[in-house]
Amino acid sequence: MSIQWPLVFFTLFVGLGCGTFVSAVVLTEWCGKAKQIRTISSLIAIVALGLGGMSSTLHLGHPERMFGALGHPTSGIFMESTMIFLVGLTILVYLLALRRNASDGTCKIIATVGAVLAVVLAFVNGDAYVMASIPAWNTWILPVFYVASAAVMGCFSTGVLLARAEDVDTTALTTIKRAALIAIAIQTVLLIAYLGHIAVAPYPDVTRSVARVLAGNLAPLFWGGLVLIGLLVPVVLMTKFYTKNTESISPLTSVKLGLASVLAAGVAFRVMMFLLGSSIKQFF
Amino acid sequence: MSQRTMVVDLDRCIGCKSCEVACKQENGVVLGCTWNKVLTVGPTGTYPNIQMYYLPTMCQECKDAQCVKVCPTGASYKSEDGTVLIDKEKCIGCRYCMMACPYGVRTFNEETKVVEKCTLCTQLQAVGEQPACVKNCPAGCRFVGDIDDPNSEVAKVIQKAGSDSVHALPDVGNRPSVRYILHSKIATWKE
Repeated sequence: MSIQWPLVFFTLFVGLGCGTFVSAVVLTEWCGKAKQIRTISSLIAIVALGLGGMSSTLHLGHPERMFGALGHPTSGIFMESTMIFLVGLTILVYLLALRRNASDGTCKIIATVGAVLAVVLAFVNGDAYVMASIPAWNTWILPVFYVASAAVMGCFSTGVLLARAEDVDTTALTTIKRAALIAIAIQTVLLIAYLGHIAVAPYPDVTRSVARVLAGNLAPLFWGGLVLIGLLVPVVLMTKFYTKNTESISPLTSVKLGLASVLAAGVAFRVMMFLLGSSIKQFF
Repeated sequence: MSQRTMVVDLDRCIGCKSCEVACKQENGVVLGCTWNKVLTVGPTGTYPNIQMYYLPTMCQECKDAQCVKVCPTGASYKSEDGTVLIDKEKCIGCRYCMMACPYGVRTFNEETKVVEKCTLCTQLQAVGEQPACVKNCPAGCRFVGDIDDPNSEVAKVIQKAGSDSVHALPDVGNRPSVRYILHSKIATWKE
């Protein structure tokens, strides 16, 4: 299948928005740290969701007929649209609660609802691609990978906000650093599991083979985009993030570069997914 | 339940591609789009035991059509006679149905920005004619009708061929209804 760029950026931005919101909620509302980033992280999340939504409409031949989807609530597109609307609405309510100085309990409840919905949205984003017609996509690993990808992007995005903020509790930095490394570790396991799925998927074909990923024309994308830029570089940069005696690179630069690299890796994975997405029989 | 579909006798197909041309002409299929395509399977084997056959491909008129299930607007639907059709006025051009089709037999029209596919020439069948590919096949290898009706021509052709020589494309839960007839004395069916 050819690369569907609007869908690549749709899922990337939605993942970034969900990840940013969830990681910030966990840090600020659940752990009670760095509460000064609550508003900016929510704004970034809602802008990212908006960008994602706009990207998806670029994929449509007739976006003006989109409301026809309201009549078919079981389709993947309807579920994605509904979830984006619900997550966006919850974030707006959360921002309103922050603006009006609502109690901590109220903010925490609203943020938690939004975070749960955001995790579901990230999952639904990947789940929409799980279909029997495309063996390389027909696995639960794909939606879980989308959630992990959102978590990694969210941790780095929140890391940038922490590095820019003033008077940040150092434990907040430690927490986000640890969370990012755990998320990358999970993503690594999922990537290996995904390769395993491709290896054993039914109806094997060279277009969706492990050989193509590891040593064929997708190898530069896999080794360069996913392993190097997506796993090794972020791990090194996050390890250097607020590490004592690290004078070679500032914390802000480190985490900014890390965010750029995980975003690039997010694009690389989605591109690879589309390039592996051949049908059981691709006649036309 | 009725299921209108197509049966193709590969023993007879000569790979002339008249069906492709007739389909394009009848349905005004634009350049770059395809509703019906004849593939060459093979040659396989070692001389002098070489095998090859032609495989006309088109919508497989699935009984559990995944394209219909994933369509967000109901543009893809199954008509009363079981034919899978697209209401182009409802199609939003999301191409989700193209992803869901296990055979890649749907096509996106870049001019009209909607997805298209074989309609079994419903416009011709409505006035009692055969689909363009059927009536223009010089080898007479294509048959169309209700496969669930034992008295239909397609059912009779299948019965006459014998179950060992009747084949279908891989089924991943979509239950394709199109059947291909290929006797082992002509060539071995490739999955």
